[in-house]
Amino acid sequence: MSAERRPSRAWIQYVAVVRKEVLQTLRDRRVMFMLIFAPFLQTLVLGFAVDFDVDRVPTVVADQDRSQESRTHLRRVLADGTLHFAGGADSAEQGAAALDDGTAAAVLVIPPRFGADVAAGRPAQVQMVLDGTDPNRSNVAAGAVSRYFGEDALRRASERARAAGVPPPARVEIVPRLYYNPGLKSAPYIVPGIAAMLLVVVTTLVTAMGLAREREQGTLEQVAVTPVPASVLLAAKMTPFVFIGFFDVLLLVTVGTWVFGVPLRGNLSVLALATLLYLLSTLGVGLLISTISANQQQAFLGGFLFTLPAMLLSGIMTPVDSMPRWMQVLTYANPLRYFQEIARSNLLKGGGFADLWPQLVALAFFGTVIFGLAAARFRKRSA
Amino acid sequence: MNAAPSIEAEHLSRRFGQFLAVDDVSFHVEKGEIFGYLGANGAGKSTTIRMLIGLLTPSSGRATVAGHDVASDPEGVKAAIGYMSQKFSLYLDLPVEENLRFFGGAYGLWGKDLQRRADEVLELTGLAEHRKAITGSLPGGIRQRLALGSAVLHRPSIVFLDEPTAGVDPEARRSFWRLIRDLSRGGTTVFVTTHYLDEAEYCRRIGLMVDGRLVALDTPAELKRTWVPDRVLLVRGRNLSAGAASLRGRPGVRAVEPFGAGLHLRVAPEAWTGEAVRSALEASGGEGVSVEVVEPTLEDVFLAVVGRGAEAQAAQEVVP
Repeated sequence: MSAERRPSRAWIQYVAVVRKEVLQTLRDRRVMFMLIFAPFLQTLVLGFAVDFDVDRVPTVVADQDRSQESRTHLRRVLADGTLHFAGGADSAEQGAAALDDGTAAAVLVIPPRFGADVAAGRPAQVQMVLDGTDPNRSNVAAGAVSRYFGEDALRRASERARAAGVPPPARVEIVPRLYYNPGLKSAPYIVPGIAAMLLVVVTTLVTAMGLAREREQGTLEQVAVTPVPASVLLAAKMTPFVFIGFFDVLLLVTVGTWVFGVPLRGNLSVLALATLLYLLSTLGVGLLISTISANQQQAFLGGFLFTLPAMLLSGIMTPVDSMPRWMQVLTYANPLRYFQEIARSNLLKGGGFADLWPQLVALAFFGTVIFGLAAARFRKRSA
Repeated sequence: MNAAPSIEAEHLSRRFGQFLAVDDVSFHVEKGEIFGYLGANGAGKSTTIRMLIGLLTPSSGRATVAGHDVASDPEGVKAAIGYMSQKFSLYLDLPVEENLRFFGGAYGLWGKDLQRRADEVLELTGLAEHRKAITGSLPGGIRQRLALGSAVLHRPSIVFLDEPTAGVDPEARRSFWRLIRDLSRGGTTVFVTTHYLDEAEYCRRIGLMVDGRLVALDTPAELKRTWVPDRVLLVRGRNLSAGAASLRGRPGVRAVEPFGAGLHLRVAPEAWTGEAVRSALEASGGEGVSVEVVEPTLEDVFLAVVGRGAEAQAAQEVVP
């Protein structure tokens, strides 16, 4: 470029601030770690660890019948892998001791004469002692046992009917057809949610702390006495984070696809637009926090106080439908909710602009309001 | 424009809640002048500077800097001035030349202009060899020169320096003041606050702030004549304590203060000569007494001014 072609003053200032931000970010190893390596690591850890599928529930078996029948039933009930044999016991009490010390989560008790009663067609009972601290797991364990004996009773009734020459009882069976996530795996569902969480943690905290540091060290004041307008300063400061945000989303989608089998059904331009609008909110919150913080500790705490409830009230980990009514109302004011809905719908169901425009509009609305507020406050404090 | 003062402040005040940090301050600073602004911590020096550079709006009164009104045109002020804050505030994690590049860009310098000007400033401040060094790794004196260089990168017509040499060793302070005088010779107006009174001697004129008020404003020589009319005598010798006690309270003796192993005396010039003091001290048992007339320093001026300011305030408090 020749010396004669001199760009506009605002552009010169913008380039100067972006260059400075990029150099500082590249030099700061902690920030680089937080922006790039941590998202990668968290995707892997959360993707593998957050697993709502329950199997291999450790189960102690108390077989008080000790018949051929009871042994067959036990072998079959354990066969599908939902329950995992964790030892034998003589009584329910003895089995419950295993719940106390944590070696088992369920005890299955087969009473004396169980085999004989069943063979003779008399009513029979099995007992289950369950560890209720994890309600989901105990439900799954009890469900597996009752399903097994239910099917077994049906099979027995049919045989008896056939032997008596009458038609077997009619069977009503549920035939589920699962759309979008046929394996009902947790990871493809959770990975798009992680994108929403990571972006808010990374961009909100780094922005809040970065600006708080500049205020603490006095460099913000030094910049405030230069003729750089607040709008140029903010635009330039946010620019690197927009790139980092896109990089993180791309990283997540890549890892999600390759490692966890996230299907990528939708047009990714929807996700890209949503990311941009979402970043407006998260960066705006970071900026807002920095304007009410005197130092970096306060900024960190402020960021934490925002991100944690925002994540819990987003529907990422627990469905919004299962929250109390008043809490559901709160989720409508949470940009995380819209972004996770878009990410999940876009990646898993192939949702496009036609399906997701309400969420996109909501994100644009909150982004504009939050960022506008933050910029106004920032301008007031630094002018 | 050339004849107009660089800085004009008229009845400038700033209030923070109940606290009046700057109280009805008026002064003019001429083009190319080194103007010193002195006062204890909390006297209102920084608040005055912050109003003049457009960071703080005056509560009342007005000021123009380089022809721009600070309240209505702070952006015009910002583009015309350079500012070096009390606290070192360049980016410690960036190399020297990147700091210059950033601040140059902030003032709209670009491409070859920026490069040339950065080289000039590095040469001027003697930092050419440190251009690649990380700013945080440099000692305080060098950093201060860099901060000054950064403040004059865009050739401002006025620079504001807020306690520029605080915490810097004497040698570095001296080389820093050489830079300031070079700037002034080149036509740049320098507005500098300090609480090092020896440095204030370098200023063409000095304003003295006490509790938010500008209580004195003149050249150093004139300030000394006005505020310290007494003759200051430095006395050395042995066994001076009895003599010192006897001198206190005698007519024409204004103050007797221990000074190192000797004494500092302030006397009325018409009542006491050095010789008279010497014989009085020897009569009270002093041995090997020598008396020397010393030029009053700005420190003497400062103490006199602060004393007067405190009296004025006490008087004010009596009359509600």
